[in-house]
Amino acid sequence: MSDDFRVPLVIRGEIIDDAAIGHVGRRGGVSFRAPDIARHVGKLPLRTPSLMADLYALGFEDILDYLVELGKRLDFGQNRHVREAFRLSCITSGLSESILRFHYAHLGAMFDRAEMRRMIDRACGVDYLEGWVDQGPGRFPGLQARTRAFGARCVHVIAGNAPIVSVLTVIRNALTRSDAIIKLPSNDPLTAVALVRTMVEMAPDHPLTKHISVAYWKGGDEAIEEAIYDPRGCEKIIAWGGFDSVKHITKYLQPGIDLITQDPKLSGTIIGKEAFADDATLRHVARRLALDIGAQNQEGCVSARVIYVESGTDADGLARANRLGELTFAAMQALPDHLSTPHKAFDPALRSEIDAARLNDEDYRVYGGRANEGAVIVSQEDYPVDFSRQLACRVGNIVPIDSFETAVRSVNAYTQTIGIFPESLKAALRDRLAFQGAQRIVSLGGAATMQHNMEKQDAIEPVRRMLKWVTEEQADGAQLEAMAG
Amino acid sequence: MSDYFERLLANPTSFHDAPYHEAFTLSREQIERLHLEGARKRFAELRPGLSVLDKLAREQGVDAIGTIDDVAPLLFPHTVYKSYPISYLERARFDKLTRWLSGLTTSDISHVDAGGIESIDDWIDLLEAETDLMVQHTSGTTGKLSFIPRTKRQWRETIVHSAIIIRDWWGAGKGPDILRDGMPIIIPGYRHGAAATQRGNSIQVDLYARGEENALFLYPDARFSADVASLGGRLRAAEARGEAGMLDIPPVLLERREALLELERRRPDDLKHFFAEAQRRFGGKDVYVTAMWAILFDWAEEGLKRGIKGIFGPGSVLLTGGGKKGKEMPDDWRDQVLEFLGFDNFYEMYATSEMMGLCMMCENGNYHIPPIIVPFLLDPETGRPLPRKDGTTGRFAGLDLMPQTYWAGLITGDEITISGWQTPCACGRIGPHVVPPVRRYSEKEGGDDRIVCAGAPEAHDRALEFLAELSM
Repeated sequence: MSDDFRVPLVIRGEIIDDAAIGHVGRRGGVSFRAPDIARHVGKLPLRTPSLMADLYALGFEDILDYLVELGKRLDFGQNRHVREAFRLSCITSGLSESILRFHYAHLGAMFDRAEMRRMIDRACGVDYLEGWVDQGPGRFPGLQARTRAFGARCVHVIAGNAPIVSVLTVIRNALTRSDAIIKLPSNDPLTAVALVRTMVEMAPDHPLTKHISVAYWKGGDEAIEEAIYDPRGCEKIIAWGGFDSVKHITKYLQPGIDLITQDPKLSGTIIGKEAFADDATLRHVARRLALDIGAQNQEGCVSARVIYVESGTDADGLARANRLGELTFAAMQALPDHLSTPHKAFDPALRSEIDAARLNDEDYRVYGGRANEGAVIVSQEDYPVDFSRQLACRVGNIVPIDSFETAVRSVNAYTQTIGIFPESLKAALRDRLAFQGAQRIVSLGGAATMQHNMEKQDAIEPVRRMLKWVTEEQADGAQLEAMAG
Repeated sequence: MSDYFERLLANPTSFHDAPYHEAFTLSREQIERLHLEGARKRFAELRPGLSVLDKLAREQGVDAIGTIDDVAPLLFPHTVYKSYPISYLERARFDKLTRWLSGLTTSDISHVDAGGIESIDDWIDLLEAETDLMVQHTSGTTGKLSFIPRTKRQWRETIVHSAIIIRDWWGAGKGPDILRDGMPIIIPGYRHGAAATQRGNSIQVDLYARGEENALFLYPDARFSADVASLGGRLRAAEARGEAGMLDIPPVLLERREALLELERRRPDDLKHFFAEAQRRFGGKDVYVTAMWAILFDWAEEGLKRGIKGIFGPGSVLLTGGGKKGKEMPDDWRDQVLEFLGFDNFYEMYATSEMMGLCMMCENGNYHIPPIIVPFLLDPETGRPLPRKDGTTGRFAGLDLMPQTYWAGLITGDEITISGWQTPCACGRIGPHVVPPVRRYSEKEGGDDRIVCAGAPEAHDRALEFLAELSM
């Protein structure tokens, strides 16, 4: 039992750390103390929009300078706030220490100047952030229009399954010149705090420091949430994950508040018959599949869970699928420990399901799954396990199929990433998968890399949507007057 | 006393009609001997005929039971009795479902041809007609039905057992002797069906009420359908399969849609009729009532609203349990039930569908585990048995020695505390008892505001709404 964690409230550069109230964390019997938000909630929303003006004294390059400097100060060896976040995450996160160590050691790398610039270029264009961009000729002669993208006052309800969510939120907020209130997740309450405290130490009076706040309150506290989700102080809510948490936020929606959801999603895999060309190919496929299932301990929405395999469903087909299951399980055990390890908090309900499946060898083959090492369950007909939505902790379900049609039709709006082998099958299926609801289609093995398109997620562009697209129009005065008749 | 114990050792099933008060006079040594010898006996008898138990024993490398803790690895996860794929139901592969069930019972069901069967209800009826099984299913609140291969004989034994408990629980012969004298039965639920709360109805009508004229049900003609109960889980499975799952909405459910909706529409009338009949035929009489708490409360609340109080005679008995089932009830819900029923002789139990034995609540609020159930508390993380030490909390698992045709050894999803090993309960009964509260691990693990981006919305238990929404 460890109860020495403190989660401060940071409001626009002011750190409040009186640890007035105890909260229960997620795993490992951890608890933490945080200020009584009810006493400070009035200061959280930015009720006066004119206070956004200071952000516009900054140029884009100034913002990049600030973020690059922040990145340097997140050094794991030097920054005690980052180390404290790491220490708490080691207890509350579904990721193991070795994986977390890798994440926290590389926090600073996310603040790469060139990459941040490219991200904004793809998302909205730096020129739109920096000034009014001419929109070209229109239908109305003499009318000119110019558009500029402005930051908004946002509340971010962030997910706590990986520290990258906090990093992305801080970067997006700064680059878009927005004002953020970050609601901390109980499964990672300290990473965003570490970033923002470092900002306060680095530049306490800087506008970017003054336009970010972090707070923990228990989700569902109506007195607090009614004050925060109020259109007078909040224009947009960016809500990650959790069906219940997103659903719950919708009750505060009213005209004047824009909800941007990063809904809970599940990801999968489609493997074509080419995988079975020869044993070397199958081993290659198994190693890539092991990555998609096992990377980040299957904690992410990008992690593969149900894997459709065009092996055939006759006896030979099942044997092929089983062989892939066996090889994939072995490959998963060999993944490097900064990427994947046995899960430290294996879901007991899932274990009961695996134990029962193992005793039903007519319908399932189970590779692994004896302790917390993960498992590959191979269905013995073209049907996923009934507990497919519970697959986690490095447990994948291989489903043999005769034709990839079955796999395509299984994709729906809750399917985020689909890893595909071979490339030719990806090219052939990508449009159809998109109709069905898929949002990201990757080469098998690339599901968890997330190296590209950090500004696109769930088939929306959150950065673009965080911005307010304001238009200025100009027409000839005489022409306008003529319309008055 | 000694005869009693020797009889249990030789034939644990004899417990079902043995004087119940004697169960809690056995010494701890006797209880432990019964546990060990009974477990050895059942394991040796059942393993050859139960392929699933044999598989588990091989998996775990257990060939003999040396100490009682050797039983722990042989307990089924509670998911075993629902380990069939839902695709069997979607694709009407009841032949395969039959084969799956045959691995869980020593009753011979190999001759059953379920090839043409299209619904679970029909499958259950077919097994009842052609074998000695009277399959019981669970209520499906978790999304998937378990099927427990209890025999007709075991059902009769179960009903006899309940009557013996009612007679002897508060002391030898202190309660009504329903088997000897008969008693009207009142059940605020379905007359027919194969779920735990309906399966014994016919036998109760026969043994307790001694005829339909002495029995009253809320739905005297209706069946609690396994197909409807399973719909929630099947919809969830279908949703997980996207468009591919939509093709599989079972036609038999569509056919029954109207009848089900009609039943819902008639509910107010049925309720009115039920109250009227209860007052007219059984008002002031001593009766036997059985229902889960949540259902009882609904009934009592409705009755009190109609101004009905103290409806039955003071010698009546109530057999109940089951907790609140997630239902919102006021703090004084027990008082309301009592006020409505008009008697306070409540027999409260803690039980699981797979076991025949019941753990009854004593005057101190503890549930006493009968010596015929070998209880275990498992470490929720490792699954290893915890020591038999008073006040220990863990995942409840147990082996009921009564059933001799299926393995009633299983790991529940409940977190409980057991005492009574070292210090007996203040009520004087010897042996282990469960100290409330009983909690579901699934409730404990959820309910916080952890947010992750992985997941998908679940279909909720909305079978009838779903049917009502379907455009026909």
